[in-house]
Amino acid sequence: MTEDKHIKEQKIVDQLSGTFQNLTGKVKRERRVEVSVEKKLIPSVLSYVKDQLTFTHMSHMSCVDWLEDEHFELVYILWSPELKVQLLVKTLINRENPVIENVDMIWGQLNTYQREIREMYGIQFTGLEGREEFVLEDWDEMPPMRRDFDTAEYIKDVFFERPGRDGAKDVREVIATRSGEEIPELAKKYSRD
Amino acid sequence: MPNDKKSQKIVDIIQNAARKHSLFVLAYGTGCGAIEIPPTMTSRYDAERFGIRGMATPRQADVLLVTGYLATKTLKRVIRAYEQMQDPKYVIGFGSCTINGGMYWDSYNTIKLLDKYIPVDVYINGCMPRPEAVIEGFIELQGLIKDGKANGATKYKENIDWYRANQKKVIKNWNMPDYNW
Amino acid sequence: MDNSIWISILGFLATITLAFVVGVFYGGLVRKVTARIQNRVGPPFYQNFFDIVKLYSKTTAINHGWMQHLGPAFAITASVTSLMFIPILNGQGDMMWFENLNFKGDLIFLLYMMVFGSLGMALGAGQTGNPYSAIGVSRGLSQMVGYEIPWVLALVAIMMQAETTSITGLIDYQNANDTWMMFESPLAFIAGLLAMLGMFHYAPFDVPFAPAELASGPASEFGGKYLALMMTSGAIMAFVKLVLFVDIFMGGASNLVMLLVKTFLLYMVPVLYGVVSPRYRTEQSIRYFWGWPTAIGVLGVLYVVFIR
Repeated sequence: MTEDKHIKEQKIVDQLSGTFQNLTGKVKRERRVEVSVEKKLIPSVLSYVKDQLTFTHMSHMSCVDWLEDEHFELVYILWSPELKVQLLVKTLINRENPVIENVDMIWGQLNTYQREIREMYGIQFTGLEGREEFVLEDWDEMPPMRRDFDTAEYIKDVFFERPGRDGAKDVREVIATRSGEEIPELAKKYSRD
Repeated sequence: MPNDKKSQKIVDIIQNAARKHSLFVLAYGTGCGAIEIPPTMTSRYDAERFGIRGMATPRQADVLLVTGYLATKTLKRVIRAYEQMQDPKYVIGFGSCTINGGMYWDSYNTIKLLDKYIPVDVYINGCMPRPEAVIEGFIELQGLIKDGKANGATKYKENIDWYRANQKKVIKNWNMPDYNW
Repeated sequence: MDNSIWISILGFLATITLAFVVGVFYGGLVRKVTARIQNRVGPPFYQNFFDIVKLYSKTTAINHGWMQHLGPAFAITASVTSLMFIPILNGQGDMMWFENLNFKGDLIFLLYMMVFGSLGMALGAGQTGNPYSAIGVSRGLSQMVGYEIPWVLALVAIMMQAETTSITGLIDYQNANDTWMMFESPLAFIAGLLAMLGMFHYAPFDVPFAPAELASGPASEFGGKYLALMMTSGAIMAFVKLVLFVDIFMGGASNLVMLLVKTFLLYMVPVLYGVVSPRYRTEQSIRYFWGWPTAIGVLGVLYVVFIR
């Protein structure tokens, strides 16, 4: 449907899926391309897009915790100054044993992002250098950005609370009832009430 | 004669008057509140009128201004700076975050109640308090000093075990030197 | 007991009180002037008195070793000793109260005495182990090497001209010839004035203290009573420098009002220059002093040797 409209974006997807196996790509909209690959392909895909497809700028690296599907999704966000296209390279990692190849030799700044993700999600990057402790200090609980980390319980244990917040309503509930949605069972498990 | 109560009272009045009119603020900012300090100190609001002045080291400062939320990591530094300050010393809690956690009430890494960890003499509420409110808070503190009621440091020394227990609950790896005040 | 000893002691106390009050008062005026230039109201002119009283009433529980405790003592000793050798008022009038040790010391002695305080402070600050103190001390001593050269050249020029090293002798020379040294040998005066900019450590020569860069410089670890001692010493030292400058270049002062007018006008030179200036780096500061001020100082000496 978008083939005639987004020619250069489609060209990137074609080039990538022609080069790599098991790579699914799609054009999200103008100047926004998204590809999903297996985790063992990540180093070769990243160096390929950097060297061959002029995606020289590493904008950001992020992680999503898909608790229900039991995996983490790593997202590498790249930008090509020549093509003016943003490329999202996504990969899924097993939640039980989250290990992936370190790629900070391709972009130096990935070292920082990977260390942050290692600390916040507990994902291990093989061969990643730098201190284990990044932003948190003396943290011995579950990595705090994982969705099964119970923040409310932790706060109750560690910090003091000034009375007066008891009447506050759960925001999700209010929003859900206002827009007529239903809160999924899983989310209810982590609700404050 | 030199040690009787009357002469001590006169000395106290002189000392409190001098302390009231000369507040050296430790130039240390946490969170977003630090951005309200430059306008408070410079031409527009000019806190120097009241003898309030920035000082770069805790050794020379009287007032510790905790400007905003404190991560547990920052709390460690704040306690260390506070204990290095010389008596008499005062703490001003600045913004909602120091009072009840503010918008960080459900953060896993931010303390909610500042006065459980270090003694607070004056709270300034608001998110963020404007420079007028900051100056108002300082005037409040000056009033307390004049009446001899700003005794947070004494409270801290007397209840040091309770404060230490609270601090160590948050700061798990306690590797700080003990200061002898 | 001999009556004159009591008068000397009272005069000594009166001199210290005068120097302290005037120095602190000038410090407050400087803050006021700075504030007015920055379009602020500024603290009241007596603000520095409050600061010093408050600092004296603070506890001081910092211990880094005995040299740290001696540092501020050295500073105040140097200030008071220098003060004793400076003629506050000249010749006639109510000079009796401020006589002190005027006739026993000369300019060369004072040159050493005024440096003594800085060196004592440097030793004291060095023992605190604070890195900011160490950087501040090294910067301060480097800058001292810078401004001492034009300062000594200016003094050499006027000492050669008056053919005396005594300060009272210099004042007498100016009174006898009915002129001021700043008109007699203007080049030496200019060199001395430029060196004075560095001596007062106002911007652009506030290299050793460098607020926002070095915490409080050498004084970083000194709080409470020690800081009060250092502020007292600084106030007295500012007074000493101003009076010395007035004595040797502006013919001294015959009464207190004249003294205040002359010193205040002189003090406004570094202050007003400082308020509108940013800060030099250390090597820029030294290069500045070794440039034009030193050249003018050399010219001043040559002027005295060959022309007069």
